[in-house]
Order: sequence, then C-alpha cells, then structure tokens
Amino acid sequence: MENEVSIWTEKYRPKKFEEVVGQEDIIKKVQNLTKSLNIPHLLFAGPAGTGKSTLALIVVKELFGLHWKENYLELNASDERGIDVVRQKVKDFARTKALGNVPFKVIFLDEADALTKEAQQALRRTMENYTSTCRFVMSCNYSSKIIDPIQSRCAIFRFKLLEKKDIEKRIKYIAEKENLQIGEEAIETLYENSEGDCRRVINFLQASASISSNITPDLVDTLASSAKPADIKIVLEYALSGDFQKSKEKLLDVMLKESIAGTDAIKAIQREIWNLQIDDELKVRLTEKTGEIEFRIVEGSDEFVQLEALLAGFVLAGKGIIK
Amino acid sequence: MIPLIEKYKVKKLSDIKGQDLAIQEIKNFLRVFPKKRAIILNGPVGIGKTSLAIAIANELNLELFELNASDLRNRKKLEEILRPSIEQRSLFKKGKIILMDEADGITANDRGGLPELIALIEKTSYPIIITSNDIWNRKYSLLRKKSLLINLKELKQEIIINIINEILKKENKKINTKTIEIISKKSRGDVRAALNDLQTLLYLGEEEFISDIYEREKEEDIFNVMKKLFQEPTKKETISIYNSLKMELDEILLWIEENIPREYQNESLYNAYNYLSKADLFKGRVYRQQYWRFLLYQNFFLSAGISSSSKIKTKKFVKYQRPTRILKIWLSNRKNAKKKSIATKYAKITHISKKQALKDFFLISLIIDEKTKNKIRLENDEREYLEEFKQNTLSKIN
Repeated sequence: MENEVSIWTEKYRPKKFEEVVGQEDIIKKVQNLTKSLNIPHLLFAGPAGTGKSTLALIVVKELFGLHWKENYLELNASDERGIDVVRQKVKDFARTKALGNVPFKVIFLDEADALTKEAQQALRRTMENYTSTCRFVMSCNYSSKIIDPIQSRCAIFRFKLLEKKDIEKRIKYIAEKENLQIGEEAIETLYENSEGDCRRVINFLQASASISSNITPDLVDTLASSAKPADIKIVLEYALSGDFQKSKEKLLDVMLKESIAGTDAIKAIQREIWNLQIDDELKVRLTEKTGEIEFRIVEGSDEFVQLEALLAGFVLAGKGIIK
Repeated sequence: MIPLIEKYKVKKLSDIKGQDLAIQEIKNFLRVFPKKRAIILNGPVGIGKTSLAIAIANELNLELFELNASDLRNRKKLEEILRPSIEQRSLFKKGKIILMDEADGITANDRGGLPELIALIEKTSYPIIITSNDIWNRKYSLLRKKSLLINLKELKQEIIINIINEILKKENKKINTKTIEIISKKSRGDVRAALNDLQTLLYLGEEEFISDIYEREKEEDIFNVMKKLFQEPTKKETISIYNSLKMELDEILLWIEENIPREYQNESLYNAYNYLSKADLFKGRVYRQQYWRFLLYQNFFLSAGISSSSKIKTKKFVKYQRPTRILKIWLSNRKNAKKKSIATKYAKITHISKKQALKDFFLISLIIDEKTKNKIRLENDEREYLEEFKQNTLSKIN
C-alpha cells in the first residue's frame, strides 16, 4: 500500500531509524527507548522539515509492527480548533485497549505549540488521566511555547536544521531513483530556497520534475519566485501615489487570492515601511499607527476597515503630511 | 407598449375611485362660481387630484387649460400664458377650467409666481383648480384664504386593490392575490406608484419583482442618506440620520466604507476612515462586552464623524455603489472551499497540517498526479479546480 504513493515526501520518507539523515544523537536515544518497548511522553522541538513527524512515525511502526495503524492517532493542533475536539478524540481513542504486546497506544500531537496556554493546561490533565493507556508524542517549533508542566512530563529532543550535506545526500538519492538530471548548481539552488527544510526541498524537487526531468537552477528559481505570495508592497505604492481606490481594491484582491489574514497583511506592511522612499519621521508615525491598527485587528475588529484606515494614512504620508 | 398609467388614464368621473366626497365639493364649487374663484385640492401624490380636474372638465364639457410643474412660473410667463386664456372665450366649448398643477412647486426660482397667481384668482372669469401636496406652508396663507380648500386623503388599500384587479381583468393577466396585496400596501394609497409597480411586475415576472421591490426601496433610501451624510453640513440632526433607515448599522458601515473614496480625498479621506475605524472598534466592543451603550458611539462616529470629516461640502452628483466587499469575500470563499478540501485530503496522507498544505498549495498543485488524485479520492469538481489552478501556475512560470 505504502509503496503506491507518488508523493515524494511520502515515498521517500525514511521508514527505519537507519534511513534518517542528520540528527544522529536523537535517533540513537529514541531508538534505544523504543527497543525497551516502554517510551515516556516525547516532545520533539525544532524547525520544520527536520524529521520530527518522520521519527514519530518510525517509533510507532517499530513499537507496533503491522498493527501500528490501530494503535496510533495523529492530530494536528493547528487544524483542530479548540481543545474540546482534541480531548474528545483522545478520549475515544484511549478508551479501548492497545492491540499486541505493547500496553499503550500512541497519540502524535503535531504542532502542539499552536495550542493556547489554556488548551495546554487541559491537555496536561488529559495526559495524566490516560497515562496507563496512552503515550503522547508531541512536536513543536519552539519548546518555550509549551507550558512547563507538559515539558516536565516529557523527554525533550531538540532537532537541528539539516546540514547542507544531509540535504544534498537526500536530493541525489531521490534524483537517482526518479531518473532526474540534476547538477551541483541546481542542488545548491534547491538548498538555498529550502532554508534547511527537507520537506520543502523534496516538494520543490518534485514540482520541478513535473515540468522537466532536467532540473536546472533556472527552473528551480522561477518556481521559487512564483511560489512567493503577491506583494503587499504594491498596495502601499498605490496609496503613497494618492490612488486610494486602487490601493483598497488591490488589498482585498491580495488578501483573498492568497488567503492572507489581516494579521499577516499588517505584519507585511510593518516590515515594508522602512524600505519606503519617504521621510523618516513619517515612517515612525506610520509605524505607530500600524501598531495601533494591529492591536485592533488582534482584538477582533474588522480587518478590512482597519487596514483601509491605515492606507488612508499612507495616502497622506505620500503627500508629506504628518497626522 | 403603452404604459399602464397612460392606457388607463381617467376620462370620466365614474373612472375615479374613492374620491366621491371631493367630486361633490368640486361640483358645488363650480355651481356657485364665482363665489369662490379657486379651489385647492390638497393631498398626497398619486391619489387622483389631476385626474379629478380632467374628468370634471370632460364631464361638464369644459376646456381644460393646464399648467404643470414643468412650466416656468415666473410672473412674465404666467402673464403671457394665462392672460389670453382668461380673456378669450373658448372657440369650441362652452367654458374653461384652468388647472394650476402642483402649486406648492412654485419655488424661490419662480420669482413673483405666487403673487401673480393670487392676482389672477381675483380677476379670473373661469374657475381655477389648484392641486398641491402640502399647502400648509405660511407662504401660501393668502392663497389659502382666496380659495376653497379641500383636503384629500390617500386612497384606501381596498380601492387600490380594486383598481389593480380591474386592470388585470382588462389586460387578461393573473397574478397572486398576495402580490397584489404587497403592491397595494407598498403604494401607500398612491395609484400611480401602484400602477408603475404593476407594470414592472408584468414585465419582470412575479418572483423577481418582489425581491426587486425590497432592494429598490432600501437602496433609494440609503442613497438619499449617503447624500445627506456626505454633502450636507454637519448639524445636530446628523446624529439621527440613520433613524429612518430600515438597515442595520453594520450594513450602513459597509455602505460608508464603499463610498468614502467617492466623496472624500486626502485629509477628509483620512479623517473619515479614522472615524469609520473607530466606529468599527466600538462595534467590536459591543459584541465582545455585550455593553450596548457602545452602539451610541458607533452611531455617532458613523454619522457626525463621517459628516464632519470634510469642512467643505459640495453638492455634486455621486454615483454611490452598493458594498461589494462581502460579495467578493463570499465568491472567493466559495472558490477557496475547493482549495481547502483538496488541501485537507492531501494533508491527511502526508502528515502535515491543512494550513501547511494551503501554504504549499502552489507546489502541491504540481505534485498531485493522477495516482494521487485517486488515492486521496478527489471529487470531479475538485479535479477541475486543481487542473485550472495548475494551468494557471504553469502559465505564470512560462
């Protein structure tokens, strides 16, 4: 079944401890824990695409063998809104006994740092209540976003960004299997665009390969630049030039097309202010206003109305007027 | 097609419905003429004031000399037109009636029009029928004194219903009694409005007409309010500008948001958006804190705030637009719904979050091949969306 997948991130996802590239120390420790058939709760912290989910999956497969699917529940905290859903699913899953020799089931809670502090408190209780029948494996980008009581109940492993040589190794391996022509320069470009994120590298590789089996640096670069969301900068330029109506329309257009939330749009605006060709004092005033608007949006105001009010400020700034 | 309102124009007195009392009064007035030389028919629009005059003239075989709102009513013009008709005898008919239509339409622009009319009443050898909507203004006090005043009420709903039914019979058309009810009620006793609506209905079909009627009514009102808000000076009454509107403040906010840039520029624009964003802020606070007094501030910023954003008020024609944002968001959500469902299915087998899949959708659209489509069980419409998205992506690259 597994072999049927034609998505490369899955097709080439390591299935044994030995296949994982990088993170050697972590692999060794986790492997030993798994061998004892009694793991503690685990917390994997580290950047995206460094092998956290992969390792979690390997642990379960090693523990349960053929029965892994029955004994494993994967939840993504950033998709499951509200801790109630998580708790209900955990409860339903933990209620039945594990199949096989291992006396517990495993719940993988991905992106656990997306949970609010309150939700984490609730989760901590759940972890305690089901401790005899369930083990939690959690992943997060920053362990500081996980409350102490949870951290103290887990064995914590910190994943590092993958090194260039590790990623290169992976690219070459896949290229060979898939009959791709790829030179050192293209590998370099892939790496640069990936920021050490192995999943991203593989996605870029497969997307490029869907266009041509000859992977050139140009091809990768064009893909990378098209993948970037449309620029909020254009919105600001319209406003500064005095065309409010255009600016307003473009803002709505960008936000809807790229599914950008108001909070993301305002972050982009804030970052852009210092690059604008306007007086420094204006930049300070605009940033001050941006802060106020961001606060209002976070507080739950209508993001479009608030952003438009900010754009009106840019229109004045474009004429050199300080308000 | 002849408009219904023309086709079924009143010709005889018996065509006139619901104004029996007025007919008696006019007949009396004509009989005792010149005891009083003018009669004022005062009442709301579309109840048959002008028709009354026409029907009476026909019935009594009198020539009707008509002046209406579109005629200039300055002294000179009146003199030019009215004097000869008063002094000459009609060639073919026995007598004449002068109809001064919509006398309260004599405005400041028609300088001397009103005194001239009064002067004419004193001299005329023919009865004058004056119609008006609101003759109670002080400037008409002399006119009122010189004339016999009859107040006409709006027509009762049953009468409007009867008129509509009669016309439908003659037109050989049938419509739902419920719809007739709506038209008659909406007309508020105005036959002209009812017939115009009936005309639209026969043209549009019933269903569309009814939804149209409500929208139109709402929009006409909001257009007027927008004009007042943006173009009239801020005063105490500005705060209650939305009281007469059958529209929620939240929807009004959208109308203002859409139309500020059509009225204001630069500083005024900035001020207006500043107040709009404050109104929005209080709107949020009302919901979050359930503290309804904040509505007061929301209303204040939306009315006086927006109005006072510009010191200079110019009367100009502005084509106000209905808010488009909600529609655009809705359309985009409908489109994005497919993107989301594809991303969800993809995320499920690749151990990533739906959010991550949405973020990477650009790449994913290239990665998903036929095999994957089957594996994650994409529906036909999802396949179509994906294909379209992919072609779009490819055209961006090349």
